[in-house]
Parts: sequence; structure tokens; C-alpha cells
Amino acid sequence: MTTLVARVAAFFRKRELDRDLDRELAMHLELATEDNIRRGLSPEEARREALICFGGVEVAKEIHRDARGLPWLDSFLQDLRYALRTLRRDSGFTAVALLILALGIGANTAVFSLGNVFLFRPLPVKDGDRLTVVAVESKANPEPGQICYADFLEYRAHSSAVFTGMTGYVMSIVGLGYRGHADRLLMSYVPSNFFTMLGIRPAFGRLIESGEGDAPRTGTVLVLGHSYWERRFGADPGVIGRTVSLDGRAVTIVGVVPKEFLGPYNVVELDAYAPIGMLGFGATAGFFTSREDREVRVLATLRPGVSIARAQAALNVIGERLAEEYPHADQGQRVRVFSEPSARPEPAAADSKPLVVAVFLLMVGLVLLVACFNVANLLLARAAAREKEMAIRAAIGAGRKRLLRQLLTESMLLAVAGGVGGAVVGNSVGYVLNGLRPLGDFPLRLAFTFDWRVFTYVAGVALAAGILAGLAPALRVSRTDLNLALREGGRGLIGESGRHWLRNGLVVAQVAGSLILLVAAGLFIRSLSRAQSIDLGFDPHNVLNVSLDPSLQGYTEARAEAFCRELLRRTQTLPGVRSASFAFSIPLGIYNNGAPGVYAEARVPSPSERVPGAGFNAVSPDYFTTLRMRILEGRAFRDGDTATSEPVAVVDQTMAARLWPHRDAVGQRFSYQAASGPFVRVVGVVRDAKITSLLDAPGMYFYVPQTQNYQSIHVLQVRTVGPPEALAPAVEGLVRELDPNLPVYEVMSMEKALEGANGFFLFKVGASFAGALGGLGLLLAVVGVYGVVSYSAGRRRHEIGIRMALGAQRVSIFRLVIGQAVVLLGLGIALGVTAALGVSRLLVSLLVGVSASDPLTFAGVSGILLAVALVACYIPARRAARVEPMAALREQ
Amino acid sequence: MANQKLDLLQGTLDVMVLQTLHAIGPLHGYGIARRIEQISGNQVLLNQGTIYASLVRLQQRGWIAAEWGASDNNRKAKFYSITRNGRKQLAADAAHWQRLADVMGRMLAMSPGGQR
Repeated sequence: MTTLVARVAAFFRKRELDRDLDRELAMHLELATEDNIRRGLSPEEARREALICFGGVEVAKEIHRDARGLPWLDSFLQDLRYALRTLRRDSGFTAVALLILALGIGANTAVFSLGNVFLFRPLPVKDGDRLTVVAVESKANPEPGQICYADFLEYRAHSSAVFTGMTGYVMSIVGLGYRGHADRLLMSYVPSNFFTMLGIRPAFGRLIESGEGDAPRTGTVLVLGHSYWERRFGADPGVIGRTVSLDGRAVTIVGVVPKEFLGPYNVVELDAYAPIGMLGFGATAGFFTSREDREVRVLATLRPGVSIARAQAALNVIGERLAEEYPHADQGQRVRVFSEPSARPEPAAADSKPLVVAVFLLMVGLVLLVACFNVANLLLARAAAREKEMAIRAAIGAGRKRLLRQLLTESMLLAVAGGVGGAVVGNSVGYVLNGLRPLGDFPLRLAFTFDWRVFTYVAGVALAAGILAGLAPALRVSRTDLNLALREGGRGLIGESGRHWLRNGLVVAQVAGSLILLVAAGLFIRSLSRAQSIDLGFDPHNVLNVSLDPSLQGYTEARAEAFCRELLRRTQTLPGVRSASFAFSIPLGIYNNGAPGVYAEARVPSPSERVPGAGFNAVSPDYFTTLRMRILEGRAFRDGDTATSEPVAVVDQTMAARLWPHRDAVGQRFSYQAASGPFVRVVGVVRDAKITSLLDAPGMYFYVPQTQNYQSIHVLQVRTVGPPEALAPAVEGLVRELDPNLPVYEVMSMEKALEGANGFFLFKVGASFAGALGGLGLLLAVVGVYGVVSYSAGRRRHEIGIRMALGAQRVSIFRLVIGQAVVLLGLGIALGVTAALGVSRLLVSLLVGVSASDPLTFAGVSGILLAVALVACYIPARRAARVEPMAALREQ
Repeated sequence: MANQKLDLLQGTLDVMVLQTLHAIGPLHGYGIARRIEQISGNQVLLNQGTIYASLVRLQQRGWIAAEWGASDNNRKAKFYSITRNGRKQLAADAAHWQRLADVMGRMLAMSPGGQR
């Protein structure tokens, strides 16, 4: 230990110690010489004798330094300095290698960061590593999801053996009015144990306190999310105690959550939190008693040492009892416990998400591999040029290990710099993703942080890249045959081409790797285009959506209806408008109305029979015209369907066939509330459309007139003659004319709206991500093929010169070079296709309408790769064909 | 004749240096080298230069101390002296080498008949 300290100290006092040693050795020799003179030798002989007895002075100094300091660090620093110098000198090579590595590592960082957000990083809450999500799969909704409040209370009351606490939240979009201006927020209603269980402390004021607002119709307080507080209230601590209106009801702001708490829903930041008791007011009053109203997202903290399986078993017991007590609602229900990170963003994703992350990690791993092969090839090319340098170093006594270490230092330096670049690239991908808005106006807030997991991953990847890219070239160079290298003078010989199997092999591997990437990209892109050409059942082109909510301005129902009628009338007279209508929700949007059960009149369901549920929308008469949805039987709504006329509905084909299998649906009546009514009469049947899910077959869905089913949220949909966005200012102007304070939101074309979370979002993200990776792979492969072909053509200048001198035609020289490229590409593509056929099977569940071995995709990407690479090889081939034989023969 | 000299066994040089300093007192590097050569009757093959690696090693372990001082004819030289820890180490090493030498002696005294 003291020795180590002394050595480290010596390492830093090198110059002083060396001077000391020099003086000491000089004195040694002086004394020895004097002794020898005293023994009768001449001064010269005495000095010579002294030097002989001493042994080599430089050797003595060297072993002294080794014994004194940190020799390995010295040689490492030496290698590092040398590597820096050579890399700086070869700035072109360095730039290309760094770019390749930064892109490769960056892609890895980005995907891992995403995986980190969705799989690993615990929420920043108390005992976040023991936090779980409890969800139920019900007959109505086979994917694990929210729980009804009554069941939540049961699970909470009886699970304290396995959980230290259980809480939940109900997500909602509400209007917050303050000083004559209202905006929409994404907020949560929470039980009073929410903040205490999660261990959140207020940034200002207080949070919701124990017991506060758990009873229906109590708890009129509001806690603000941190960034909403900054955005709307200018980060003013004075907001505590102020009164604002929440969907028209007065509440008092009591506190602000800390900056790092974005809320329990991982992909967006919540703007506010209110006691769950507030749900007892107004339309949501049934929330506390209904067993079909499943809205609570449940969080629970495991007791230390309790496994998820044990918690699962404990909840199963409660679930079975509930199914017995409430067969109507809870029979067939299955409760499931997930670790919280695995249930992001929705527990329904827990089962498929690891596959998605694995597929993408595999893809970026392949990108990295191709990138490393590329850098390895660049290094090999450089190493060949440096053979002579290495031979000289070896000749003057550098050991093989030392040469290897020096070369690896170079590639590691590249990889570390590439890793830093990659971390920057990867993080910027995070920023891009955070700008996406799959949830309407609410931006994604993915908690991308450069935490230790990401750091470890990037460091590991960079290290692997450095070794992978550097080892083969380094081994090859350090094995260089001294004599051969020095004699040959770097000129390529014909028989030498066999030694290039390594470089050629690397290029083949690169082509194969990038072909796999291209196949994956091609499949995702084809999948997206298939999804986009799916028959939606409505026509999203040339439709403008403008959302508004008169309740944000405190409108009564009557005033809101008058307002909407007038707005619709004025919109329909705008030039460039074909038709306009109102709806509550848009197809494939982020929210929808649902009826837990629909009952055909005069048909009493048997107790064991499951009552089917259906989605529904409240629309104005021209809705079907505006969205171009075909009415197959009966009629659409008309102005005569009013609040006082008979309640009517239009059902889709699926619902008509399900409720009235062998009868004409038009004229029948059904209820979407209870078996006993109230009933609505079917006046029309509309063609099935993709309303709730892009991929699933259309489910039961029906429409009611807005005049008979008032909801304050309105989407104005306008079918336009020209580009829909062009009409947006005019429509917004109309709203402002009628009420300057009423905010409009989600103003976008229907096509744009389809890019949301329930629309094409995942396809788009997947396709663009896979496309980017495929493009990267293509670029790397082409650079690799070009590099190896132009390098070997360059090395064969002499040979080409001889061939031409002996009468070879330029065309045949051109063919010779291109031929090499074709062979490499052919082998790579064949290998790649074989591998891709195996790998693409993994993608099956992520593709739509495309087989994982889609021949068109395979042939197409192979063709693209071949064409692009051959174009790149045209340059060196032409250069080779233009070689002047005499010039080539004369150069050494 | 020169190639008849003994190669130094690993670790013996350090012991010789310690013993020399212990027996004679503070010396400079050349003095130590000469003493070792003289005592061994010029039997060991010693590149005098290697003694400096040994000296820095012993110094870093805290077994000897170094100080610049005046030599015989008043020139500056670096003098080494053994420390208290060095003496302890020397005692241990000496015992070890003594035992090894004894064992080797007895082994080599064995006669072909297996009898003493």
C-alpha cells in the first residue's frame, strides 16, 4: 500500500527524480573511475572499466524507472499520445471512423434510452423499485386495464398482507378557468393516500392530505403539476389559496408538486391532481357505485420480500370472491400484478413490449456490428499502409504485445470519442421523440435521463466497439512478417490477394448485416403503407378538425347548443366548405364514449349471458356526409331529431347483426343504459368503420344525435374542397367572432389526427425508426464495399499496369474491378437474405398485412443495395481502367 | 572466468543491500556495489547499475532512507541508511535464507548410497 502511494507520487515527480538519478549515477561513475585510477589504470581505461562494471547506463535508468513509478501507465500515456498524434494526422480517416461509430453507438443509445424509459427506470417515488400496477382483464376488455372504484376499495382493504399500500388515479381531461381564460388540462383524480404512499413532498403549499376528499362530492381542492404551474401561473408561489374553476366548479389551489414528479403515467406529465371525491359531482356521479365503470389505474407497493407472484396469488383470492358476489360485472374477470415499469405506458403493453424492445435492440446491435466492421476495414486499410512503420518498430525492439496494445489504444480512443458522440446523438433522438404528440395537444414527456444504466450501456457498447473494430487489424499487423514487409515496400503482389480474405470477409458480413436491417426497414415501411391503405370505412382526406369545449367558458347546455348551431351555420357558408358537422369524438382518436352494455328491447338476457358493450358517438346530422360514411339502410339523422322528438340511433353493421341477427335492424329499439330502458329507435344502419382500433375488426358501435345526448366537448369537422389546413384560420376566426375567450384546440387535418396513439403513430414511429436504421446500414455497407474495392484496385495498380502493357483492354480491367464488387455483394446478399429469413420471423406480430418473408421486400431491398453499391464502385473501376500502364509500372 | 560468476537469485540483491547497510552503516550506491562485490569475493555477477532499482524499491518500502551528503573528498553523494523497519525485514529475510541454505546444504550432502 505505501509502495503504491510512493509509486504514484514518483509518477508525478518524474522529472525531479530523473535529475536526481542522473546526478547519482554520474557520481557513481566518477567514484569508480577514481578507484580504478588509484589501482593504476590510465584515465581512459579507468573510465571504460567503470562503465563495463556498471552495465548499460540507460538500461539501469530504465529498470530504475520501472521499479520506481507506474510503467504500465507510462506506456499507456505514451500510446495515447501517439494515437492522438496519428489520428490527428489522418484527419480524414478519423472523421469518417468517428462519424460511423457515433451513428452506430448513437442508435444504440437512443434505443436503450427508450427501453430504459419503458422497461427499467423506476418512478422517482418512495420504494419505486417495489411499485406495482394492478390491472384486471374483464370479459368486456380482454386486455389488462383499469378497475372499477368499488373493486379497487375491496382489493385495497384485503391486500395489506402483501402490499404496504395501494392507491390509484383516474385520468381525465378537464377545463381550468382562471381570470376569464380557460385551458384544457390532463389531470388525475386521486384517493387521499396517493401522495403519502408515493412519498411526494410539496414544492409549495400542501398536497392532498390523508382522508381529504375520499367521500363523493367532497374535496374541492387542486394540486398543480410543476410545469403547468410554471406555464400558466408564471411559477408564482402566490397561487396557493386562489380559486379557479374546474369544469365550471370552484376549487382552491393548495399546492404544487415537485419538479421531478411528472405523475404516475409515464409518457405524459399530469397538469393537476384533485381529490377523487370530486368525481361525485355531475355526470360522473355513478363512478363510486358502478361496477362497470372501470376507470381506476391502480398502483401498489409490495411489502419488502414479497414477490409479484405472491401478491398475484393474494389478489386472485379477492378476485374470485368478487366474481362470486358480483357475477354480473366481475365474472370472468382476472386480476394481474405487474412491476410498474413493465406496465408502461399501459399494462396492456406488458406482454408485447419486451419483444418490441428486443427487436429494436437487435436491429441497433446489427447497426453497431456493421459500423464496427466498417471501422475495422478502415483500420485494416490503414494498417496495410503502416506495415512498414510497424516493421520498423518491431525491428527496433517493440514486442508484439506492445504493438498490439498500441493499435488497440488507437481503436479504443476512436471508440471512446465515438461513444461521446453517440451519447449526444442518442440523447437528441430523445428530444425529437419528446416533441411528438400522439395524445392530441398533450406532448409526450418521456423521462429521458442520462442515468447510470444508460451510461453503463453506452460505455459497454463503446468498449465492445473498440475491441471489435480494433482487434482483428491489430492482430494482423502485429503478426506482420518483418522481412517481407520491409522488402516489399508496400507494393501489392498478385499472389498476395489471398491475404485479404479478412477484409473481404468483413465486407461480406457488412453487406449481409445491412441487408437484414434493410429487410426489417422494408417490412415496417410496407406495413405502414398497408395500414394506411386499410379501408377505414370513412374518408379522412380533406377534413379539418377543430375541437372546442363551451364548458371551459362556463356555458350552460342551452347556451352551448345555440353557440354550436350558429357556429355550424356560419361554417357551412364559408367558401371552400363542402359540409360541416359536430361530433363528440373523432375516429381513432384518444377518447371515445362507451356503453358497458347494450340491450335489445323485449329480449331479457339470461343471468349467465354476457351483455355486449358498444362504443358510441354523439353527432350532428351532416356527420355521415362529412366523413363520407355510407348509410346502408334507413336514414341518417336530420334536423327533426330534437331533444323532444323520439330518441333515435344509427348502428353499424356489426351491431345490427349482433342484436337482431335475422331481422331488419331499422325500426327496432335498444337501450344503452339498462335492460329496462330507456330505449332508442334504430333509424339507420351505417357501414362498419375503424373507429376504436386500426387493426381489430370493427366492433359494435352506434351514433346518437347530439340534440338528444349533450356532451360539452365538440369536434367541428369540416369537409373542404382544397387542403383542409388552409381553412383553419377562417374557422378559428368564426369561433373568435362568436366568443373571443373560448379556446379552440387540436386544430388539425383528420389525416394528421390519424397519426395519434390509436392511429398510425406506432406504425409511423416504427417505420421511420426502422427506415433510419436501414438507411444507416445501407450507407455503411456502401462505404465498406467502396472502400475495399477502391483500396484493392489501388494496391493492384502495378498488376493492372502489367496487364495493360501485355494488351489487356480497358473494358476488361473495368470488369475485373467491378467483378470483385459483384462477388462480394453477391455473397453478402445471399448470406443476408438467409439470415433475414430467420430473423424476420421475430417481427411477425409487429407487422400488418405483410408476410415476414414478403418476396417483394426481399427482392426490392436486395436490388437497392446492389444498385447503390455498384454505383459507388463505378468510381474506382473507372479509375483503374484509366491507369496509364507506363506510369503505373514506373512508380515503385 | 567471467562466465563462471553466479547469477543473482531473484530477491537476493535486496537482502545483500540491506545487510551491507546494516553491517557498515550509511553508504552511497557505488560503495554498496563495491562492498557486495568484495564480500562475495567477486563471485556474483553484478551489473552495478541494477543496484539503483533495488535501492529505489527498498526506499519505497520504507526499509532504507536516503540523504544527500558529502563524500570522502567533500563531494555531494546520496547516502543510504537502513531504517528500523529495514532491520526487522532483514532479520526475517536472513532467517529465511539461512534456513534455505541449511536445507540445500543437507540435501546436497546426501551421498549416492542414501546413507549419511
